[in-house]
Amino acid sequence: MDMTYGREDHKTDVLVVGGGIGGLAAAVSIKELAPELDVMIVEKQTAGYSGKANKGGGVLQYFDLTRIKPEDFVAYHAANIGCFLGDQDLMKTYVSMNNHMLDKLVEWGARLPKRADGGYDVVPTGPMTAMIGVDLDITLKIRQTAEKMGVKVLDKVTVSDLLTANGRIAGAVGYSILDGKFYTFNAKAVVLATGSQNYRIGPMWSSGRGDGIAAAYRAGAEMRNAEFGNFAQLVKVRSHHEVVFGENYMYNKNDVHITKNFRTHPEPDISSTAVAEWYKQISADLGPIILKEEKAPGGGIYGIWDRPYGQTFWRLNEESGAAIDVDAEVCPMLIGEQSPLKVGHDMMTTIPGLYAVGDVSYCGSAAPGAVPAPPARNRGSGILNAVFAGIMCSQSAVDTAKGIGMPDVDEAQIEACAERVYAPLKRKSGASSKDVIRLVQKAIGPVEQSVYMSAHRIDTALKYVEKAKELAKELAADDFHELLSCHEAEAMVLCAEMQFRAARLRRESRGWFLREDYPEMDNENWLKWIIVKKHGDEMVFVTEDVPYEKWPIRPL
Amino acid sequence: MIDTRHKINFDASKCVGCKLCYKACFVDVIRWDEEKKKPVFKYVEDCEHCFYCASVCKKGCIEVVPDYSSEKLLQTFDRYL
Ligand SMILES: Cc1cc2nc3c(=O)[nH]c(=O)nc-3n(C[C@H](O)[C@H](O)[C@H](O)COP(=O)(O)OP(=O)(O)OC[C@H]3O[C@@H](n4cnc5c(N)ncnc54)[C@H](O)[C@@H]3O)c2cc1C
Ligand code: SF4
Ligand code: SF4
Repeated sequence: MDMTYGREDHKTDVLVVGGGIGGLAAAVSIKELAPELDVMIVEKQTAGYSGKANKGGGVLQYFDLTRIKPEDFVAYHAANIGCFLGDQDLMKTYVSMNNHMLDKLVEWGARLPKRADGGYDVVPTGPMTAMIGVDLDITLKIRQTAEKMGVKVLDKVTVSDLLTANGRIAGAVGYSILDGKFYTFNAKAVVLATGSQNYRIGPMWSSGRGDGIAAAYRAGAEMRNAEFGNFAQLVKVRSHHEVVFGENYMYNKNDVHITKNFRTHPEPDISSTAVAEWYKQISADLGPIILKEEKAPGGGIYGIWDRPYGQTFWRLNEESGAAIDVDAEVCPMLIGEQSPLKVGHDMMTTIPGLYAVGDVSYCGSAAPGAVPAPPARNRGSGILNAVFAGIMCSQSAVDTAKGIGMPDVDEAQIEACAERVYAPLKRKSGASSKDVIRLVQKAIGPVEQSVYMSAHRIDTALKYVEKAKELAKELAADDFHELLSCHEAEAMVLCAEMQFRAARLRRESRGWFLREDYPEMDNENWLKWIIVKKHGDEMVFVTEDVPYEKWPIRPL
Repeated sequence: MIDTRHKINFDASKCVGCKLCYKACFVDVIRWDEEKKKPVFKYVEDCEHCFYCASVCKKGCIEVVPDYSSEKLLQTFDRYL
């Protein structure tokens, strides 16, 4: 094997890939159950700093379980948000565990502002939902807790491929983004917590750019709900700052309140119909679209709770937007959030011993149904879903790690991975990762191709994806930073291909999924999940019936 | 975001070498100079103007100056390219 950059081999009972909130919650939960197991987190940037939980709104979903029955929320969710595509059992477990998860976060060191009487400082958001705050040092605190419990953390090493042996997981390989050193990890169980695919369009989002999804796909893991990778948000046209709930105040150039065209009653969060309405208005030359928001006094949610760590971060962001946003003109921006790793209730993927938690598997778990997740029209569920999945995988991961010996690793497999990984460095000239990414963005960015879809427009998008795929064969890099960018570009091509090809198949509209040419929900033919899988060199698509008969809420 | 033109102003004279900015950057814009014990803003074209590096720096050494016009909205209409 080419040893130009050096090699380091590790063995661990459990390998966690990704040190955001999902990976940290999984690592800590596993250590709580089995302190004797070796647990190692490998993170491509710096665990505790790099995930999304510390760069967000700092809001957690809250259910007052003394007042609300989980099954009542599930009934509302299944009919109005998940649109019968969701796993109602999993959603019910998630709601039931809400208060337990909050207490766990506090135990792990997160700061959740409380009232003087010791209860959580709750802000109601709807008849059944509410939110509470969390400070942005959440992941830093949990990293400290994890390390105190003996979890090892390896930063600045990116995992590029998963290793399998005898039909199960055997570990992973990767490289240092600083000096290129090659790493192998031999493990009995692997927890993938690498975040969602954001296609690098919306700013400030994830350092997970689908490379975890791509590694799992190459290893043979099945994907589910890949077509729901099309979250878009209204943003201010100048600063690109998102305007959460802005869809309620959209006005066109004739001062018509166009929200009324797609919304007759209050709804939770932005819908794809709001995005489509923007497109229709601009196409009819009725733009620009302006928000006339009735501003709540006191600087929005950032002023509500006592969260000292996040204050500078929020202030700097708000000030920079305010300096440039001369008006409230908005347009949609693609955020993506493809999260397709198919998992069961214990978060195990279709590869035995490989688990997937948090944003990498939120839609793949089927819990949210017919919506891109997070936020899944269920604000404050992103962090808690990651915590939920981390806890839910722990017992099974412990059983796996205790139940088997260390799997063999195949040197030939490792060598093939190393060759693939370093290939862009070996090419003296070739395509730049940015050229490939730009082509993918041309497919996924325009909302009429990715959100308000039609067969014709999906085909246009797929042409860009095909071009990107061709170009990606010649990717060249001249340092390790660029090498990572090449692998992320390849992952974006793969994710976009599965997203558009799955979207082409789903000939209906359901929940967030919106097709102009098939505007109705089709319960006769499409109470189905689309499953994507690698078969040889082919990407294959099959459907699975949603077992809605076994759940209480069924379509009429 | 790719190929942005955000600027980062760094005042090395106030820097105490705590390394927090380097850890904070989630997209590898900031590298660490082991000899000088100072951050190096090496891949600024990948900066996503999250302001996290500036907000963790206790000494106020870092100013992030976004150039929002370099971020593409990628809609089909001329006004929103
Ligand atoms: C601006 C913003 C606001 C938000 N606001 C809220 C909110 O108020 N409330 C809420 O609940 N949710 C919110 N969310 C969503 C929430 O933050 C996420 O759902 C959650 O943090 C996901 O956690 P995760 O660990 O699954 O993924 P991430 O946080 O994306 O972590 C993935 C980690 O894996 C690492 N990684 C990726 N690929 C590799 C690889 N190949 N090898 C090694 N490491 C890798 C990444 O560097 C990263 O550290 C917000 C998100 C954003 C961006
Ligand atoms: S603003 Fe954010 S992305 Fe830019 S250098 Fe600082 S930490 Fe990195
Ligand atoms: S955070 Fe500030 S003081 Fe610390 S190393 Fe960075 S620039 Fe220097």
